[in-house]
Amino acid sequence: MSGADSAEIVVERLTKQYRQLKAVDDLSFSVRSGRVTGFLGPNGAGKTTTLRMLLGLVAPTAGTATFGGRRYVDLTDPVRQVGAVLEASSAHRGRTGRNHLRVVCAAAGLPQSRVDEVLKLVGLEPAATRKFKGYSLGMRQRLGIATAMLGDPRVLILDEPANGLDPEGIRWMRDLLKGLAAEGRTVLVSSHLLGEMQLLADDVVIVAAGRLIQQGPVEAVLGGAGTARVRVRTPQPAELTAALAALNAGVQPESDGSLMVTGVEPAQVGNAAFRAGVELHELTGERADLEKVFLELTAGKADIR
Amino acid sequence: MNLVRAELLKIRTTSLWWIFGIVLLPLWALSLAFNWFQYRGSSPAGGDIVDDAATPVAVASDLYTTGQFFGILMVLLIGAILMTNEFFHLTATSTFLTSPRRGQVILAKYAAAAIAGAVVWVVLTALNLILVPLLLDAMELGSQLDETAVWRAIALNLLAFLLWAVLGVGCGVLLRSQMAAALTLSLLYVIGTQAITLVFFLLTQNVAEWIGNLQVLVPVTASQLMISGTDLPGSPPQWVGAVVLIGYAVVTGLVGTLITKSRDIS
Ligand SMILES: Nc1ncnc2c1ncn2[C@@H]1O[C@H](COP(=O)(O)OP(=O)(O)OP(=O)(O)O)[C@@H](O)[C@H]1O
Ligand SMILES: [Mg+2]
Repeated sequence: MSGADSAEIVVERLTKQYRQLKAVDDLSFSVRSGRVTGFLGPNGAGKTTTLRMLLGLVAPTAGTATFGGRRYVDLTDPVRQVGAVLEASSAHRGRTGRNHLRVVCAAAGLPQSRVDEVLKLVGLEPAATRKFKGYSLGMRQRLGIATAMLGDPRVLILDEPANGLDPEGIRWMRDLLKGLAAEGRTVLVSSHLLGEMQLLADDVVIVAAGRLIQQGPVEAVLGGAGTARVRVRTPQPAELTAALAALNAGVQPESDGSLMVTGVEPAQVGNAAFRAGVELHELTGERADLEKVFLELTAGKADIR
Repeated sequence: MNLVRAELLKIRTTSLWWIFGIVLLPLWALSLAFNWFQYRGSSPAGGDIVDDAATPVAVASDLYTTGQFFGILMVLLIGAILMTNEFFHLTATSTFLTSPRRGQVILAKYAAAAIAGAVVWVVLTALNLILVPLLLDAMELGSQLDETAVWRAIALNLLAFLLWAVLGVGCGVLLRSQMAAALTLSLLYVIGTQAITLVFFLLTQNVAEWIGNLQVLVPVTASQLMISGTDLPGSPPQWVGAVVLIGYAVVTGLVGTLITKSRDIS
């Protein structure tokens, strides 16, 4: 395993030109090991295309994508180094989940004992001998994850893995991915479930219309865009507004009678109220959430192309 | 080697092989019955030998390779489906993730298809070796199994199965769609060959003699020539048939590999 702080996946000036449109446009970003990186973007942003180029399935028009400096196709033992669950990850409809895993094991030269281990890991044992065509969406997703884990890879790439998972499944996957990152592995997950991403990701890479919008640790991205807000409820709104005006805070009355204060920390609001002798019934700091920031950042660029 | 094992496992873990088995066995039985009725009339016991070709050795060679026509069709389809399945079931993603060197995957498919072809040949030949001696005895020809020519026909039959399996994979790469591949290949194999033979016949009659020599370029004719020699004009030597088949297999394979390598899997 390479150093924990070195960039594991490096995407450099990656471009994919389809006949009429640039699905990915001069995109560069890097993904660190030991962390979960969320790959976010509206529909048609080029996430799937980027991941497929990363994995050697789609040929880039320009640019490179490497794992520890090597292209996927140049890795000596790709299945042991990188595991991937792609959107359309699929198996032959008439083949059982177990046999699907056996085929991959055979092709990658992995011991067949891995099959039962990964089936257990994803909790698919009861359905292992049923045919793939009878699988629910969530079971297919689990089989995809099982396939990706066969080689016990140090890099995991997942495209919309939460699709079709029930709440318990989503939680299970979150714990799994966080656990894998905690072991020092690199996890890159694309998604547009922003609430889920806020819980899961350490870093985010946000793209829209094929271009990079922002990348960095979640807190930095949240802090950089959109200010934090404080919700206060008081029987004396006029006095409080006056007190806060002295701090240059923005105050906005809400329809439910509370005040939404921007530009200051909750402690500052409490302090101002205390000094002014204003009675408070509620004081809640609202963290800027990823969804809001995401929508702000991608506004106007998010149209489906 | 791992890849070949994986490809064989792919064949074994779907219902493909036993469906083909169920279809092939009755067809083999029909072919045997057909051959038997055809030759019974011309056996020495029956009196006159109508056809020069119907020497006991030729009759025996033909009977011992019974099932070739449909067997080869099956093998051709197995080879093609091995390839088209990857796109039909979207397994290409998983396959090329596991082994990103696509040329090697296709080579493995060639090998697996050839092995499947050999297995079909073993089954048909075993059935023939059990039943045909009985028929030959009934025709008072003896088993003919001491003739090298008979064994050569059986061996060349194996070569035909191998080459057609490989050709099937090549065709599967070129005709990516499952349905298109299965239909096109079956129709071309069963009807197309007859039609082309007719076209050649007319051309030879009405345009020029030499065109008839090109008939060996038709794959089915080539494999017939390879196995038994035919009454083609000028009767090219048997190896020409083998060369033509190998040529087709190599060309479809090379073109197919190039296409597959440059194709985006999405
Ligand atoms: N094979 C293709 N041929 C032509 N255009 C394509 C092809 N694949 C993708 N595109 C286009 O490229 C753009 C990016 O698609 P992509 O699937 O990468 O987006 P995405 O970010 O994964 O979207 P989603 O969130 O909906 O999954 C889209 O406009 C899509 O129509
Ligand atoms: Mg996508």
